[in-house]
This record gives sequence, structure tokens and C-alpha cells, in this order.
Amino acid sequence: MAMQRAEAAHPVLYPSMDPITVNGTAYTPAVPAETPLIDFIRDTLGLKGTKLGCGNGECGACTVLLDGRAVCACILTVGAAAGGAVTTIEGLGGESGGLHRIQAAFLEVGALQCGFCTSGMIMATAALLDDNPSPDRRAIREGLNGNICRCTGYTKIVEAVEHAARGA
Amino acid sequence: MAPDAVELRTVGRRVPQLEGADKVTGRAVYTPDVVLEGMAHGAILRSPHAHAEIRAIDTAAARAFPGVLAIITGRDLPGIPYVHISKFSDRFPLAREKVRFFGEEVAAVAAETRAIAEEACRLIKVDYRPLPAVHEPEDALAPGAPEVNRAPADTGERNVALKFSRDFGDVAKGFAEAALVVEGDYRNGVVSPVAMETNGTVARWEGGRLTLWTATQAPFYIRKEVAHVLRLEPACVHIKPVAVGGGFGGKAKICEQEALAAALAIAAERPVRLVLTRYEDLVAGKTDHGKAMRVRTAVDAEGNILARSSSLLIDNGAYTAFGPVYVAAARQRTCNLYRVAAAHYDCRLAFTNKVPGGAYRGMGAPQIIWAIEDQVDEIAERLGIDPIDYRIKIANRPGDVTPLGWEITSCALAECLEVVRERLGWTEKRANPVPWRGVGVASMIHPSAGVLYEEGNYANVGVELTAEGRVRLATMTADAGTWQNTMLAQLCGEAMGLDPTLFEVIHMDTEASPVDLGSAASRVTYVTGNAAADAGRRLVAAIGAALGARYGLGSVAAVIMDCKVHLTGLNRPPLDLAEVFQAVGPLRVIGSFSTPATRPDPETGYGNYAAAYCFGAQGAEVEIDPVTGKVRVLKLVAAQDVGRAINPTAIEGQIQGGVVQGIGMALSEEMVFEEGRPVTTSYLDYKVPRFDDLPDIEVVTVDSIDAIGPFGAKAAGEPSINATVAAIANAVANAIGVRMRELPMTPERILAAIKARDGTPDIATRPFTRRKNFRVAAVRSLYPSLVFPALRTFGPRLAGPETAPVARAPHSYPRSVAEALAHLAEDPAGSKIRAGGTDLSVGIKQGIYSPAAIVDISRIASLAGIAATADTLTLGAGARLADVARHPDVPRLAPMVVEAIGQLATPQIRNMATVGGDLCQQKRCWFFRSALPCYKLKGATCPCFAVLGDSRNHAILSTERCNAPCPADLAPVFAALGATAVIASPAGERRVPMDGFYRWSGEPDIAPGEILTAIEIPVRRPTTATAFEKFALSKGYFGVASVAVSLDLAEGVMRRVRVAMGSVSPFPERARGAEELLEGARPTPALIAEAARATVTGALPLKPAAYKTGVLVGLTERALARATG
Repeated sequence: MAMQRAEAAHPVLYPSMDPITVNGTAYTPAVPAETPLIDFIRDTLGLKGTKLGCGNGECGACTVLLDGRAVCACILTVGAAAGGAVTTIEGLGGESGGLHRIQAAFLEVGALQCGFCTSGMIMATAALLDDNPSPDRRAIREGLNGNICRCTGYTKIVEAVEHAARGA
Repeated sequence: MAPDAVELRTVGRRVPQLEGADKVTGRAVYTPDVVLEGMAHGAILRSPHAHAEIRAIDTAAARAFPGVLAIITGRDLPGIPYVHISKFSDRFPLAREKVRFFGEEVAAVAAETRAIAEEACRLIKVDYRPLPAVHEPEDALAPGAPEVNRAPADTGERNVALKFSRDFGDVAKGFAEAALVVEGDYRNGVVSPVAMETNGTVARWEGGRLTLWTATQAPFYIRKEVAHVLRLEPACVHIKPVAVGGGFGGKAKICEQEALAAALAIAAERPVRLVLTRYEDLVAGKTDHGKAMRVRTAVDAEGNILARSSSLLIDNGAYTAFGPVYVAAARQRTCNLYRVAAAHYDCRLAFTNKVPGGAYRGMGAPQIIWAIEDQVDEIAERLGIDPIDYRIKIANRPGDVTPLGWEITSCALAECLEVVRERLGWTEKRANPVPWRGVGVASMIHPSAGVLYEEGNYANVGVELTAEGRVRLATMTADAGTWQNTMLAQLCGEAMGLDPTLFEVIHMDTEASPVDLGSAASRVTYVTGNAAADAGRRLVAAIGAALGARYGLGSVAAVIMDCKVHLTGLNRPPLDLAEVFQAVGPLRVIGSFSTPATRPDPETGYGNYAAAYCFGAQGAEVEIDPVTGKVRVLKLVAAQDVGRAINPTAIEGQIQGGVVQGIGMALSEEMVFEEGRPVTTSYLDYKVPRFDDLPDIEVVTVDSIDAIGPFGAKAAGEPSINATVAAIANAVANAIGVRMRELPMTPERILAAIKARDGTPDIATRPFTRRKNFRVAAVRSLYPSLVFPALRTFGPRLAGPETAPVARAPHSYPRSVAEALAHLAEDPAGSKIRAGGTDLSVGIKQGIYSPAAIVDISRIASLAGIAATADTLTLGAGARLADVARHPDVPRLAPMVVEAIGQLATPQIRNMATVGGDLCQQKRCWFFRSALPCYKLKGATCPCFAVLGDSRNHAILSTERCNAPCPADLAPVFAALGATAVIASPAGERRVPMDGFYRWSGEPDIAPGEILTAIEIPVRRPTTATAFEKFALSKGYFGVASVAVSLDLAEGVMRRVRVAMGSVSPFPERARGAEELLEGARPTPALIAEAARATVTGALPLKPAAYKTGVLVGLTERALARATG
């Protein structure tokens, strides 16, 4: 009951919001259009793989793909993403439920420690490799500069991205 | 058989992280991912004062707010302070009579949603009486200083939580007999662990039992402290396993949200999730300790260290959490590295009105070793010895006993130094110096597990055979990303002869696992690891015994080979583990380990502290930009004596991570405070290293095969940070000939050091060629005594009522500019335009925007267009930066726009942010963004905090009441290109040249109700040359200074010269004096230098920003040289 009252205090719904496709499924969001996309992904759809690191678009932990481009789900709204196709870490998997080559490369190279940045890092890598299938180390470091990792010192992530690119 | 001759099957293998598959797929469950039936959401009300008396708290309005379930204040809790170190116990989960630091917890709310909980926090009225505050340890000790917190009786000094002074050996003799004494004062500010996952807890209270899912390194402490402060039996508190997103010491003991989440769950009778925001984590998360250190080292003529004296003043913050432990750890750091004959250590731990200091990787070692290694380098230089040769000469060696009584056993320090010498190219680089480049080296020592708490020196690990034929290993210590679970499986597996992939590791669980202190103080590999190996041996023995009993054979010896159990000497087919389980049922054993070393004397600190010590050496090569002062690490080699590498992949990653944290500590990380309030509360201002700042980190592990460590291993992860700061500082000294004495070595500090070295005079800016600077200078001179105190005291009251932050302003989504104008017309002053939202979303949270309505223009297709005619390139204001940069016409017609976008923000932000948003974003001043009641935020009755505060990022030109510079990188670019802004208003369209787009204060000249729709840029002529130069602390960050140059170069003569400056003035100011010098002239180096100097004519910088004049001059020279070259 209380939740309904709370929502009633903010009754602004985008009247004709276009559906959002998330990982291939189209949803017509039943949330206010100004809801941060990350809340829709995590709380409404229950896809918890996307992480909230800073809420300000500074760390990249919440990186998802919107129409193939890396964006920060923490400062993008549902309204801004409406009509688009969102891919989260859960939607990246390879053929028949196996690991995507980027995921496999991160695992094999050991390019993760606490793992909290990993989803965003892998999604940013997906966008990077889509744009530039064989980046050199300089391009990898530039392309992933929107993602902070506090654990690894980045070296193994750069190696994993090279590894994934080679495995393409 | 010697331990290194044993054939190892599992230890030494690059086993993938056990949780890795869950982490790369997003399946791993962290605290914020835990969802419970009926879960409510918590929020914390924090102190807005550094020091104040709480006179009353009124929660009535908050309680009445719909959706609020429970509110707790200090009075609602049992009134028991945290244990921490019991003698120093001084902090309650919620403040009671006083608040002692900005951000201290005052009340907590549970509600149906996080938004409601936050709103309810705002509705709680707290009557504070502000008290004088103390922000620096030196001030805390000054006569007449206000009392921050009650000092224990034995210190006898106001604001001194602990003091210590002692000689270890004959220090006076050492100094008396010295051939050379070097000395120095060193200083480091406050740094923070900032793990990627903020602190957070989910709590459930059910049937008198409390269950917690919490981001911690040490469930042991959480159970102990939560039970204590809530007066529960520890056995009623159950910590459950969860993935933990980094710790580094920041989660080493209780944080504050655990007890608050628990208390809220009890009060609300509902499960509660309480996860801190990044802002809260930076404001109230425990930090490393700031320190001032005076260090003296005495050596004989050969360089043997006769004595060292270290005097430290350590910032404790407002309460005692880790301070006394830090004092003891600091003592160890001062005199055990290298052979030192005698040592003096004295220390004061001072209370200040800051967030309490906690634990952070290295526990003071990186900074103290920086001081020591600075002196070791100086001694080598003065004695004419190669610094690496000298270090090898004085290196610790097996059999040594240090001044503190540490007994050195396994030690490969000299070997590590040799590895660094070779891998860094030391000899060649020292012999052939390159200007502005330098190489430096440093060593480290660290106890391999030594904890001042007795419980840290033993561990228990449970192992259990499962019906599926696997081994379940249970440890109470938490894997916060260190790969401990994988390594424990490897160690247990090695002892059993079983592959680690057959293990399931349950960490953290206080019911499933026997007691273990947790992941802290470099103890897990050594102490818990030994217990894991012991558990493995015991389980194999138990299998043998159980099978023997089952077969009526008495106890028999079992051996596991190829995943099968063989019974020695019996002619029976081997069994797999599932068959064993079927035969004998569940088997569970506990392995344990207790560190054999004697404990040091708790009073003096003398005695062997750990059963083993780790060593390492690092070498750095740096390059310094003489214009900007930026230090770039070109190469970093870390060689570390790890005993034996249990899992090389894990250890390399740990060392690389520690090194990079050390690079941050050396060069960029620093909390900045204003009135005790941290203003570095985002990743933009608290600058941790990013990809593009760094080289690959080269790691070499060196085995020394410790006799006690599990299979010869020693601690490896934590101490990798210890030598990094020192190696970089020594490389900087090698590059510029100056020994830096303050951390971090930020660009302005490096520039100041070079300037002092050369005795360079200040750049003459002739400020009073601008007449309004007379007035500005006069007001500034009165700021400390009169203007600031008056405006600070009365200004906020006169500024009118607090504007209520708007949690969720109504949005509209127009499809055309006309529709947008109509929406804006409904409430022109109260509406904000949202395009990419990258500034607005953030600014609303920061409290700098409180719109009544938001008009989202992202769906207006006409605003996103990019079009070109023969002479004009039009960029829609809603065009995203990435789209502009990728557009086929833009590189050809306006290459400088593409150049600037390449240095603007991150790839993600460029995919979201728009051209108009860049131009219209609010200032990035950290005082303003911290919502201090400043002129910009609150209006004319309020002061500018930059005038007396840390204004290193502020403007140097054309400032008046507000000193914040224009942050938009595209603004100077458009000004230099002679672009025009197109603005739609209800009355029609108007065009404004970029030169006039901003008012004097830096606000865009766009009236309420208007919309910026496009930027029109004259297309590049064949003779046009442009260049954009920007200096930022990291690629894509907001600029320290930038300059955009556009000119036509025909027949060797420059025409139509435009020079526009960014980040140094409230608006993108044109350098008219420079333009006049260049117009119609032929470019020569002398003329370019003269024109560059003219850019700062009339500058009147605040002192901390004065370095920007030189940066601007240097960048302008570069841009002009490039454009004319």
C-alpha cells in the first residue's frame, strides 16, 4: 500500500512510451520515464549483473549497450532509452548459453578480482571491439578509459581484450 | 626433502578464479543484489557540520511521511559504543550529544523505497549548535585548540589519543658517530580505499536471530561489533556469504552501516537494505591516515645505517578506529627495512574533526617507505654509490635481527633488486639520462601475517566431503577479490592430492565455518592458508580412518591420486569421493594453524612480530611534462619475494593492482577538505588511476620458499603497494633533481618544485592592466578578516529559504522545438532542459539543480542533426559528441572539433552527452558541486570559497565574485572558430557569436524559456590551420587549462588569428593581446613565445591556481607551434 502511495506522489508517466528491447525482449516499461535505466534493469527486470559503482557516469561499472554503443545506465533514463535496444551482461552470452569470447578471455587471462567492475568492463570491451576489431594496446586503454577498476591495475584486462580480439 | 624439492601438483598452477565464471556472466551476487521478501530500504542522515552539539532531533514530520517504516536516532539504540580497541572505544553507531565530523551518522530511516527513506531523512529536523572545529593535526595540538574528542587520561594532552616514544638500541651513539646524517620532513594527506562496491548491508531480523549480507573483509568483526552495540548474543548474529566488491582495508572491520541496517531491520520488523552511495562512501568511509613525518638517518662513511629517528604526527580523525594499530604499524615501517643498527620512534595520534582514519593497504608503509627510500637515495648520492648497489649492500638478509627484534628468515630482497636493475634497464638509463625522464628504485618489507590482535595469528578452516564427491571448504574470512578462495582450494587440494576444481569454497559464513579473524593484515595466505593445508591432510586421514573402520581393518592410510582414494597396502579398487561418501557418510574436519612466532611486547613493540617477512623491490621510469608538471609513469617493474607463488595469475594481478594503487597515492589521490567537508566526493575529484594513465605493470615473482608458510608461500597481495610511491618519487628526483616532500606529487607541486629549483620568477601578468582587478584585489585582501566571515555567517540566512531538492521533477518529452518551447513557457524559471542528462542527473544529486520541471529534448530529431553547406557546418545542439566526431564531414570542415572531442570525457559519456550540453553544463568548482553555500549556488549574499580555500582548479582570468572557470572544452574551440550559437525563443530565433555566448559570470546568455538549438561554424578554408591543446589530470577529465587556435597562414603570414582559452576564465576568453601580436606577422619562435606570454596579461590568479599561468603560456606555445608548423 505504502508503495502505491509513494508512486502516486510522482504520477508522471510518459504517456506513450515506446518499448525498450532488453536482451532481445521488448518491454513496455510500467515505470516513470525518468527512472534511471539501471533501476529498470536491476529492479524491474531483476537483471542484477549491471552494477552501480558511482551513479554519476564516472566509473563505467553500469555500462550497457544501447543500440550497440556503450552508455552509463546510471544516468540514462528509461525515457531516453525508449525505442532502443539495450544489451546487458546477461544478454551477451555466446552460442547455446556458453560464454561470449570476451567473457572467456577475462576468465582465462584472470582479468578480474573482485568482479564488481567486470560486467561494465566486458560491455565496454564489446563496444570497443565492435568498433575496432583489432585494437592495439593504446587503443584498448583509450577505449576503456571510461571504466575504473580498483583491483587489477588494468594490465590483465588489456591482455584479456587483446586475447578476445585475437579469438574473434 | 627440502620443501622446494617436493613435486607440487596444484600449488603453482594458474588455476582460474573459482568465482570467475559467475563474475564474467554477472551472476555473482553482491550485497546490493540480495533481494528478500518484504525488503525495505534504508538511508542515513549525516551531519552537515564538522563539529556541533546536537540540541534536539525532531523526527515527527519524517515519521508521518507515507512509506516510512522506522526511524532510529542515537537515543533509540542501547548506548553502547563500538569495541574497536576497547581502551579507545569512543564511537556510537549514531551520534548522541555531539557530531564530530562532516558526514557522521545522526539518524537512519527504513522505508518502502530508497527515495522515500532519503526524503524522510531530509524531513528530520536536527537542532545543531555549531562548535569550533579542528581540521589539521598540528592545529589540534596547538594551545587553546577546541577539544575534538576526549583524550585517554594517560596521554595528558588535549586531542592526543595516543603517544609513544622509545629508543630501540643506542640511537644517541649512532648519531654521535655518524659520518653523514640526512634528514627531511615528509607529509601526506588523506587517501581513501574507494573499492568499486560501496559499503552496504542487507539485514534480516527473524525469530530473535539477525542475518546479515554485508560487503566486508571480516565477518568475524561484524558479528562481534553488531552483537555488542545492539546487545545481542554473538551466536544470534549470522553473516552470510556474498560476493564482495573490493576491500583494501576499507572493509577490514565494522563500517557503520552494518549495525544501522541491523537496528533498522529490528525496528521495522522487515528486512532492510542499506547500501551507501559513492558520495557517502567518500565522505564517511574510513580513510588512510594523514601524516607529518620527520625522519633522520645516520650512516658511517661506508653507508652502514647507524641509527634512524622518526617522529610522526598522525591524523586520527574524530574517533578512534584503527589509529592505535596504525601507530604500531608505523613504528614497524620506520626501521625494519634494510640493516639499521638503532632506531628512535615517537608518535602522536591527534584527533581532528575529520572522518576517522581506518585501514588502507600497506597501513602506512607506502608513505613511510617513501621517506626512508628518499633518504637512502640521498645517502647513495652523497657517498657516490649506485643506488641499487647501495641497497643490496644494506639489504636485510636471512639471520638478521632488526632494531624492533624482527628475526629475518626467508629473504630474497637482494635478488629482487637485481631483477629490477635488469628489467628496468637501470644501468643504461642512469648512464644516458634523457631530459625530463628519470628512473628510481625502492624496496619494501612487510610482515607475512602479523596482527596486533591475538585472534589474527590463528586460523581454522572446515572441510567436508559432499555426497556429490566434492570437497566443501568453509572459511570465515572473506574473499573481497583477492582470489583467496581459489588459493585456499589450491593449498587444501595440494595437501590432499586433489584438483582444486573439485572444491566448493564457502567464505564468510559465520555458521558454516570455524573462527577466523578475516582478510586483513596480510594474514590469509599464511595463516588461513596453513589451516587449509592442515584441513586437507586431516580430511585424507579421516577418510582413511573411516574406510578402515567401514571395512573392519582399523585405521589405514589413504592417498588420493587422479581423483581417486587409494588405501595404502590394501588390494582394493580405488574409490572416487562420491563412493567414499556412500561408504562412510559425511566427513567433516577442521584444520587449524597458529603462528609460531613469539609476540612482541605490547607496551614497547619489541619482539619478533611475524613468522616470516615479505620483501620486494620496484623500479619506475617517469617522464615529466615541464609545461604542465604532469608525471607520467612510462615503465614500472615490480619484483617480489612471495615465498612461493601459489597461483601466479592471482599473484601477478594482486601485485599489479597494488602497484597501481601506489601510483594513485604517489601522483593523484588526495582528499581535499573545506571546513572539514570533503569536496573530493566523486571520481572526477578524487582521482584514482585509469587505463590511459598507466603503462603495463611488469611483475616478477621471486621464490624464497619459506619454511613455515604453506608450501613455502608468504603474503603477497597487500605489500605490493609498499615500494611504489618511493620508486616513483626517486624517479622524479632523478628526472628533475628535486626531492618531493609532499604527497601526492600533483602537477602544481611538481611545477612549484621546478620553479624553486631554478629560482624562476613568477610570470609577470600585469593584473592591473584590467581595471576591475583593482576592485577584485581589494575585496580579496579583506576576505580573510572581514568579507568571508561576514558572508559565511550571514549570507546563507539572507539568501532565503533552502530550496527543497526535487527527488523527481516531472518530465516532458516534446518531439519538436516548438513543443519544447511551449513546455518551457509553462514555467520558464523553474524548468531545466535535459538532453544527454550527463550533467543534470549528477547535479540534481549534488544539490546544485532543483528544477520544478524537466523538458527532455532528446527525442527532438531536428536538434541532433549535423549538416554542411559551402561555408557553414551546423551542429545540432542535441548532437551527441560521439556522433559529431564520427561524422564524415566534421573532420574535414572543422578538424579542431574532432580533436577536442577526442580529449573530452569518456567513451560512454561521449555516447550520451551533447554539444549543447557541453556548452551549457554547470561549473565544476568543487565547492559549488559540494553544495557549500557559495555565491554561485546561493547568490550575492554568500562568499566564494575558492578565495581562501584550495583553488588549484580555479580561474586565473576575468573572475569577480565567482572564481569557477568554464569547464566546456568546446567553448574555446567554437570561440576560436568564430562560431555562432542559434537560440530558439518564443519570439523567434536569434544568433549569438560564441564570444558573446557567456555572460561575465560564465552563465550562457540564454534566457529562461529559450533553447540552444545549434552551433554554426564557418568551414575551414584551405589556408586555415587549427590546434587545440588541453591539460587535464587524466585523459577526458575537465581541463586545468586549454587553448584553441585558429589562423590562416598564407604566404608565410598569419591572418584571422583567433586564440581562445578554456578552463582558465569563467568564459572561453579570447587572448586579444596575443592575437594582435600575431595578426599579419610571420610566425617565429620568439613571436610565438611572446604571444603565448600575452595570454596571461591581466591575470590575477588566486595563489593555488597561479601555476596555471605557466601552463596556459606553455599550452599556447604548443598550439601556435603546431598550427604554424
